[in-house]
Amino acid sequence: MDSVAQRLSVVGAGAALELRGVTRLFGALAALTDVTITVRPGERRAILGSNGAGKTTLFNCITGDFPPSSGTIRFFGEDITQFPPYERIRRGLRRTYQISALFPGLTVQDNVYLACRGVSRGRFSFLRPGQNDALMHATETLVQAVHLTGVKDQRVAELAHGQQRQLEIALALAGAPRFILFDEPAAGLSPTERRELIEILTSLPAHIGYIIIEHDMDVALRVVESVTMMHNGRIFKEGPPREIESDPEVQELYLGGGHE
Amino acid sequence: MARFIERHPVWALIVIIAVAVLAWLVFAIWPPGLEAAIGRKRVFLNAVLNGITLGGLYFLVASGFTLIFGLMRNVNLAHGSLYLFGGYVGYAVSTWTGSWILSFIVAFVAVALVGVILQLAVFRRMEGQDLRQTMVTIGLSIVFADLMLWVFGGDFYQVQTPTWLIGPVQLPLLTAIKSSGEPVYLQYPLVRLVIFAASVVIGIAMWLALNRTRIGMIVRAGVDDRDILAATGVRIQLVFVLVFALGAGLAGIAGVVGGTFQSLSPGEDTRFLLASLVVVIVGGMGSIPGAALGAVIIGLAEQLGSVYIPTYAIVVTFLIMVLVLALRPQGLLARR
Amino acid sequence: MSLLQSTQFRPDPSTSTTRRALLRAWPEFQNPVAWLVALILVIMPLIANGFFLIEIFATTLILGIIALSLMFLAGYGGMVSLMQLTIAGFAGYMVAVFGMSGNANISLGWPWWLATPMALALATLFGTLGGALAVRTEGIYTIMITLAIGAAFYYFTNQNWAIFNGHTGINTVATPHFWGVDWRSDIAFYYVTLGVAAICYFAVQYVSRAPFGLALQGVRDNSRRMAALGFNPNAHRIAAYAFAAFIAALGGVLQVWNYRQISPGSVSVGACIDVLIIAVVGGITRPIGPFVGALIFVLLRTFALDVLIKLGLDGNRFRLLIGLGFLAIVFWSSDGVIGLWERWRRRNTSSTQRSGGGRHG
Repeated sequence: MDSVAQRLSVVGAGAALELRGVTRLFGALAALTDVTITVRPGERRAILGSNGAGKTTLFNCITGDFPPSSGTIRFFGEDITQFPPYERIRRGLRRTYQISALFPGLTVQDNVYLACRGVSRGRFSFLRPGQNDALMHATETLVQAVHLTGVKDQRVAELAHGQQRQLEIALALAGAPRFILFDEPAAGLSPTERRELIEILTSLPAHIGYIIIEHDMDVALRVVESVTMMHNGRIFKEGPPREIESDPEVQELYLGGGHE
Repeated sequence: MARFIERHPVWALIVIIAVAVLAWLVFAIWPPGLEAAIGRKRVFLNAVLNGITLGGLYFLVASGFTLIFGLMRNVNLAHGSLYLFGGYVGYAVSTWTGSWILSFIVAFVAVALVGVILQLAVFRRMEGQDLRQTMVTIGLSIVFADLMLWVFGGDFYQVQTPTWLIGPVQLPLLTAIKSSGEPVYLQYPLVRLVIFAASVVIGIAMWLALNRTRIGMIVRAGVDDRDILAATGVRIQLVFVLVFALGAGLAGIAGVVGGTFQSLSPGEDTRFLLASLVVVIVGGMGSIPGAALGAVIIGLAEQLGSVYIPTYAIVVTFLIMVLVLALRPQGLLARR
Repeated sequence: MSLLQSTQFRPDPSTSTTRRALLRAWPEFQNPVAWLVALILVIMPLIANGFFLIEIFATTLILGIIALSLMFLAGYGGMVSLMQLTIAGFAGYMVAVFGMSGNANISLGWPWWLATPMALALATLFGTLGGALAVRTEGIYTIMITLAIGAAFYYFTNQNWAIFNGHTGINTVATPHFWGVDWRSDIAFYYVTLGVAAICYFAVQYVSRAPFGLALQGVRDNSRRMAALGFNPNAHRIAAYAFAAFIAALGGVLQVWNYRQISPGSVSVGACIDVLIIAVVGGITRPIGPFVGALIFVLLRTFALDVLIKLGLDGNRFRLLIGLGFLAIVFWSSDGVIGLWERWRRRNTSSTQRSGGGRHG
């Protein structure tokens, strides 16, 4: 199984993520229509679009939270369209949520530990981790990376909003991510916290690609090399940031009326 | 219907064949080989009719349960107690006044009142906490059961069938042909047929009320999406109270029916709670047609099972539930 | 990844960390009340006579074990299962069927050391299959499906004579004798139940902080997010049912040894609900809750009759009392008696000292 996956990933090494004709219907309503996107390994891309453009639905289709109604999704060459979410995550896909989806009853450390455990073996282990457990070290490191060491024993419910956003990111960095989907990571952050976020994103290892949904053009354009513009569930424009930013149609749509 | 056949041709075929086989078994004169294999046709027909009429009773109990759940997300585990209470009230009224019809009316009103009180005094205070509401209904079922045991004791009661309904009636269903060539028709208790007809009428009336009246539209909208209902500015609390009263009242009527068909005693509350649970799990939570379909399936399974495999009858009912959960966890007729 | 590796991890070398970790893992160790309770439980045979030892304490421990399995599922997994007593009863029936009993036509006559593991294995399988069925739907449906399973089993034991001997059940079930000890004699049996209860209690406590238990709590809080972390939520739920079923089965084996008989009455719907009541009244957020609940339940069941009559009331209204008490707990404390007690204690301590460390946001 592993060797097959590896072989496939070599064959399809051209793309980290490849969507072909992805459509998602909710009843009669099409939230996504015929979306085709190809993202190279290590590529960093922003998805822009007004509310209801289908950005989060696109993420949900990629991670399998809602499977697409039609179309195919390939991850490093492997067809993952029919996979349950956890199988996709175990292959190196990660995501964060627009509204923090954490475990409020557990501590910061337990949250991160779960994320590390989810993408390694021993998910059903009945043995508590010891002092020298490798995953405990990984947890400790991640907690430090997102500047939460001071509050690691606190329950998540007691954290400030900005800290919860940082924890979201820590969960997405657990294990060995190959590609990450960030859903509005800067929402509700203070200017200082935004700077920290940009720093975390830009210092990610070069082989980790990501797609970021971000309304704040200043944040988005500083951390990506390409931009996809969505409108009404369809791809509207693709290109480098400068080109998209200066495109008159985009300006009309996005900076004009579409920003409700 | 046409869409179902289009989307699930295999299942449609299975259902059509099953219905055809059942129809043949009911209407044809059985060849001697078949009678030798599974017994006499009269026994089979009686079991089928008992199953369908029992299904009518189950529908009365389960429709109230499913309605209350559908609108308020309240799994009312005291529903069996409401059934038994209705039965006892009906018994008391019918022995006191001698009027069978009056016992239905009084049972409906009395149990509906209990429902109104419960909704106003208890469940309104814990809206949205479905687990806590269910816990409360468990507590209430224990309290009700003990109070009823206190008042009525552990005896068996039976509601008196009125004289104009006593006795069998001949149905145009052949059970056998005598050696003289004379056809033998099935004799069946009239009261069960009348009650079944009444539950069909009640079911159709509920369906019409839900689909053709304004308040029915509101209730259905609420079953589909409670937030929409709250947003439309309808007096939602009033709708909740009315639905709870109706659901409880139906359980009360069912209690009188059960007291006439069978008997009333402590423990019947649990039996009918279980029946309601299985019926709505099979038919689909919150769906009235689902409750009807589930009730007939479970009624038939129970009666046929107790005739043909007496010590494993409950297993048949249970296996149907398992099968539905495995293949269609939301229930046969629930949307979603 | 470079960023993450640049910030170096530095383990605390001091032994105090180990000690702190130990205390965090086993909070009982620093609680003098816990030590006192443990001591009393161990020397109980010196204090109590046979009646108290078995009718009160052993019965409490057995019911506590069964309720503990419900607490594990409800508290850590968010799944309120009403079939835990059914699993226990199934294990009890299997002990009677495979082992020796007065009903020689049914019992296979296996020795206890063969019949008991068989019963435990079958009951665990039964609970796992039931759980696999229950996780097909979510939330409040769990309670309905597990109740339906429990009720179906009850009616089945009533109907079936070939295996379950109908409504008379199976009587004079043999209990273990070995090493020259009658393990059903009062003192020996008390220690057996105490030992099993302690193992179950600490096992649940331990597993709740192990990866499996943490993941289960994650599934309880947000199963969709757990799937997005690489976990298969339903597999975790089913595994939780299996673990809880094993605990319930242990309780069931002890129960059939205690009463030496089993009948449909032991697995009635009312008895299933009693287990829920015990867990909820005690408190379903911690493993000690079910044992506290069981003690209250057993004391009420044993003495309510006398007390009610002394008060000039009808002695048969024990169930009414249980129902009303349960309603009161559901109305006033989501965390059972344990929660009430803690709130009361916190109020007392906070009036003397202001708890420091105010948090922002």
